[in-house]
Amino acid sequence: MMDFLNLIFDPLREVFLKFKSFLPNLLAMLVIMLLGIIMARIIRVLLVKFLTAISFDSWCDRMGFTTLMRKGDLWGKPAVTLGAIVYWLLIMITLMVGLSALQIVAVDNLVAQFFSYMPRVFSAALILIIGYVLAGFISRGVLIAAVNSGYHYAKLLAEAIRALLILLILAMTMEQLQIAPNIVLAAFSIIFGGIVVALSISFGVGGIDAAKRMIERDSGENRASKSSGDIDHI
Amino acid sequence: MSSVILRAEVQGQIEKIAQADIVVGIPSFNNAGTIGHVVRAVQAGLGKYFPSARAVIVNSDGGSTDNTMETVRNTSIEDFSAILLHHRVEPISKISFPYSGIPGKGSAFRAIFQIAQALDAKACVVVDSDLRSITPEWVELLVKPVLEGGFDYVAPLYHRHKFDGTITNSIVYPLTRALYGKRVRQPIGGDFGFSGRLAQFYLSKDVWESDVARFGIDIWMTTTAIANGFRVAQSFLGAKIHDAKDPGTDLSSMLYQVVSATFDLMEGYADAWRPVRGSEDVPSFGFEYTVGLEQVNVNTGRMLHLFREGIRSLHEMWRDILGAGDFGEVERLGTLRDEDFVFPLSLWTRIVYDYAIAFHRHNFAREHLIKSLVPLYLAKTAAFIIAARNMDASEAEAEIERLCMEFESSKDYLVTSWK
Repeated sequence: MMDFLNLIFDPLREVFLKFKSFLPNLLAMLVIMLLGIIMARIIRVLLVKFLTAISFDSWCDRMGFTTLMRKGDLWGKPAVTLGAIVYWLLIMITLMVGLSALQIVAVDNLVAQFFSYMPRVFSAALILIIGYVLAGFISRGVLIAAVNSGYHYAKLLAEAIRALLILLILAMTMEQLQIAPNIVLAAFSIIFGGIVVALSISFGVGGIDAAKRMIERDSGENRASKSSGDIDHI
Repeated sequence: MSSVILRAEVQGQIEKIAQADIVVGIPSFNNAGTIGHVVRAVQAGLGKYFPSARAVIVNSDGGSTDNTMETVRNTSIEDFSAILLHHRVEPISKISFPYSGIPGKGSAFRAIFQIAQALDAKACVVVDSDLRSITPEWVELLVKPVLEGGFDYVAPLYHRHKFDGTITNSIVYPLTRALYGKRVRQPIGGDFGFSGRLAQFYLSKDVWESDVARFGIDIWMTTTAIANGFRVAQSFLGAKIHDAKDPGTDLSSMLYQVVSATFDLMEGYADAWRPVRGSEDVPSFGFEYTVGLEQVNVNTGRMLHLFREGIRSLHEMWRDILGAGDFGEVERLGTLRDEDFVFPLSLWTRIVYDYAIAFHRHNFAREHLIKSLVPLYLAKTAAFIIAARNMDASEAEAEIERLCMEFESSKDYLVTSWK
């Protein structure tokens, strides 16, 4: 009879002992997550206040980030949005740290993978932000220079340069995130090379007369401006 | 500041000269073709008008490769009796050297100020090295108000063709006058007289590692003198004829250099210009006479073409800077026929003020911001040329005066928007 009872109670005891030894880990996870959530909330509030104080929203307006957000159907203020992104990032980190406190091998592997991937996410985000600002800066510079040179297709040229730069940045970001790097590289090479070849062929075939007219007009204007004796602006 | 390093041989020359009453500075860069004439005119001016003064000519060179410095060293008036009734008593020393530091006219001037300070000069003059119209009288007109009139700064006053100096006429002069309340007609003339005291004050300013060293030294000197309460005058020098500008220097770069220097000074002297309303004449010296000037032909069609391209391509940026109301007005101007083209003075004034405010607020990269002004500036210039085509010089000047009055009467708009 005792043997029979042992057969029933031994697994239960074993489960209880396992749960007893697991309980501190569970409590540790709950404490970590609670503290993490509180910390994340505090950091979000402080970050938003700091960003507001340094006029981050105005900077985003100037750099075109606000426009980009609106295009992506994000209608919050840039400072609040960045605060929310940082908040959820901290929550994710808290969750991962909390799960690692459980000391379960499968979960530990998942957490290790998450943290080893984080640097790539950060560098990809950095490439995306800097690249976007840089693409806007370069295309605006090209636009102004082209307008001041009297180039008729200034806007088109600036937009084309901006699109190519963003394409390049997106390819770099995807490559950084290791998302199908071979496919991305091949797609980028095909698209980028294709655009260049298409432009060359279309200009070569269809634009001979236009090129001729442009060169003639340009040299004519140069002659005109030289012979007219330009005014002394200073 | 006092850490400007002059070469050992220059230090040696300074020690040998020990003291000077007048220092004449000539910054140069590849001006061998014209600098000889400038040096001779200065020597004759010093000999004729300041025969007993100890004078030094300082050529601060930016690394010329065409023997500019050798030309300065070898240029002298052998026989003063051919020019002057009285022979000069004191010899004129010459120092010619390549300046060190950031390449630019500002660094060249800094070295000249240093030498003036080391020699304890009472008066200094700086003249451009590409001048073809300089005469000995320029030295008198720029130095005498300092030595005998007690002035600290003497700006030039030239007769120029009504279509020349358009950046000065449509932006720098009206803006500087409205801001600081002094009617200095050529604030970026390039040829100035100033006291030794002011040269020392310039040297005490911490700007010599900034853009002032590269460009914008002319407006910086004028504004610094006015805004700090130095006594300012201007002297009529006649015509200003100089070598054609380097064709590589394009309009947008010129505009950027001049306008960014002017706007930058608005930041530093905001407390000085905000309370000022109206303007007053500054004392003028010299005998004004009419000067025959070369005909200037201008292609206004191309200017207006660039303006219309600007409306088409820069509309987002302009709307941001000018606001929807004024941008709408600019768009309307784009529809006018070339021969009927006019640019309202009030609109141009608000545009300049709006650009100054955008520059102050860092709304855009500064170079982009100011270079985007080029099509608007060309439209304003074209409108002026069309309006002034049949005007004589005095009527054209009256048109500029009207613009200045508009800048002065609209200043409240700038002050209230400047936060």
